[in-house]
Amino acid sequence: MEGSPAEAPGPTPAVPSQRQPGAGVAVSPEGGPGGWGPGRPPRPAVAASGGRLPPIALTTNCPSCGVGLVPETLRDQCYVCDCGHHFRMHGDAWIALLADAGSWHERWADIRPHDLLEWKVPKAYQETIDQARAEGLNEAVRVGTATLAGHPIWLAVFDFRFVGGSLSIVAGERLTRSLEQAAAARTPYVLLAASGGARMQEGILALMQMAKINAAVGRLHQAATPYFSILTDPTYGGVPASLALLADVNIAEPGAAIGFTGPRVIRQSTYADLPSGFQSAEFQLRCGQVDMVVARTELRARLAHLIELYLRPLRGRR
Amino acid sequence: MPGRPRDTLSVWQVVELARHPDRPYALDYIRRMAPDFVELHGDRVSHDDPALVAGLGTWRDMTVVFFGQQKGRNLAERVSRNWAMMHPEGYRKAMRLARQAAKFGFPIVSLVDTPGAFPGAGAEERGIALAIGQAIMGWFEIPVPVVAAVIGEGGSGGALGMAVADRVLMLENSIYSVASPEAAASIVWRDNARKVEAAAQLQITSRDLLAMGVVEEVVPEPEGGAHLDHEAAARALEAVLWRHLEQLLPIPTAELLQHRYERFRYIDSLLQAAPDFGPKVEPRGAAGNPAER
Repeated sequence: MEGSPAEAPGPTPAVPSQRQPGAGVAVSPEGGPGGWGPGRPPRPAVAASGGRLPPIALTTNCPSCGVGLVPETLRDQCYVCDCGHHFRMHGDAWIALLADAGSWHERWADIRPHDLLEWKVPKAYQETIDQARAEGLNEAVRVGTATLAGHPIWLAVFDFRFVGGSLSIVAGERLTRSLEQAAAARTPYVLLAASGGARMQEGILALMQMAKINAAVGRLHQAATPYFSILTDPTYGGVPASLALLADVNIAEPGAAIGFTGPRVIRQSTYADLPSGFQSAEFQLRCGQVDMVVARTELRARLAHLIELYLRPLRGRR
Repeated sequence: MPGRPRDTLSVWQVVELARHPDRPYALDYIRRMAPDFVELHGDRVSHDDPALVAGLGTWRDMTVVFFGQQKGRNLAERVSRNWAMMHPEGYRKAMRLARQAAKFGFPIVSLVDTPGAFPGAGAEERGIALAIGQAIMGWFEIPVPVVAAVIGEGGSGGALGMAVADRVLMLENSIYSVASPEAAASIVWRDNARKVEAAAQLQITSRDLLAMGVVEEVVPEPEGGAHLDHEAAARALEAVLWRHLEQLLPIPTAELLQHRYERFRYIDSLLQAAPDFGPKVEPRGAAGNPAER
């Protein structure tokens, strides 16, 4: 832990915005004098996070640049290393980052997973559930209402700590209920995806969640409710094959691994040589699967801007 | 019925029957149901996917659109059909022809038989996850009756992408699973040699799925399995498919689509009945949705 940010290559930032041009704690895109048409006042600056982030477990060194990490410093820059490496964040950190401080109102937290298949080996599913609960984790997806830079949103957050963020019946139910309510009230829906796929221990009913969720996504679209999906490291299997790529705007985190089948299985089944960067966020941008790759420090400002753009009343129509 | 396979087979034996090389494949059923079947090709974007057979034909005096994930009978055919593992183009072809069926009001029959979507680099580059997701979402907006039947392997999302229907049936010795037993073993044990144990735990046989309420009906196979008598297997499947389609034909479109939504919305009703699962429908505005204030 002795390594200080001063040893990092490049300038040591006081605020992340100095590190990445255009990225930062406060962003105010164009608007106002300089452009065409009557000047509008600049949009208010949006902080990189809604509140102070909780601690997350970190390695001692950055896996990308090797610099020794100072947890407090990293926490103040949204767990993005000076080199640009984005550390995985758990669900609590994502809620603190995306939701305005104090605005998060969790819903349906009392729905619990059940061991319907009586799964026993190599580890009893009930034991897996009990352990995760003992660690204070409440399923792989949590949903609730919040505000983002003052805009009311529905927020659904995957938590990779709970059985690999796997899509389960409880996760599917929470997602579906929140999608239905967002569609009914036309409240923008923000999804934070991080998942290894469907949960094996819930068998076919886990697979069925994909259909249940996508039916509700279809209704969200029919209700012309803006839907934003943020794909983080890693997002695989049944989650991108259900709701995570069906948003109006798909946003990937820099370097995130996103795909249907993981590279290990692809190599095993096709003996293919996979290029470096295969299934990265940047790869998915080139392949047309995501609209943009956005640094975590810029994400909130970008979402606030998108919500304004999509919710602006139409002039002369409707 | 003593002596029937369902009374004597282990789960793994059912898996082997579902994958039996002599088992009737989609075209064996489609050509018997609609001898005038005309195959249509292509996603109208870039490719045709031979793993999915699609087209129309006359069945019971109606024009019906058929889909079938098609395995190959010999090695050359297996290679050209890619072992019925679809690429993104297959799901796009399915959606193109499902919308065409909707335009003309033709009912749809989908026969599911795939180990899964193709796990290859090209499929990833061309957006297999999105293609499956769009298909699953798209089926809910197809305003004609859709009946699906798992005739062999129903492997994961690759199968579900062709199995979002008003009624889903299974042949007796078919399987339908969140992941193939090999993949599940690889995920849970990190060792795909544990496939037999995985298969037993996953509950993937037709009886398991009927009990869980995931399929409407199990179609009995000829004594010993469908591979021993293609003709009898096809007759049995045809009769059950028709019995279900016949019930769907008179249902008004809005009702049909609402039923399809609810079929999947409450498909996990086993768990929905648990006391801590909460009410199915929350009273509106009961708790702080800011949009409702």
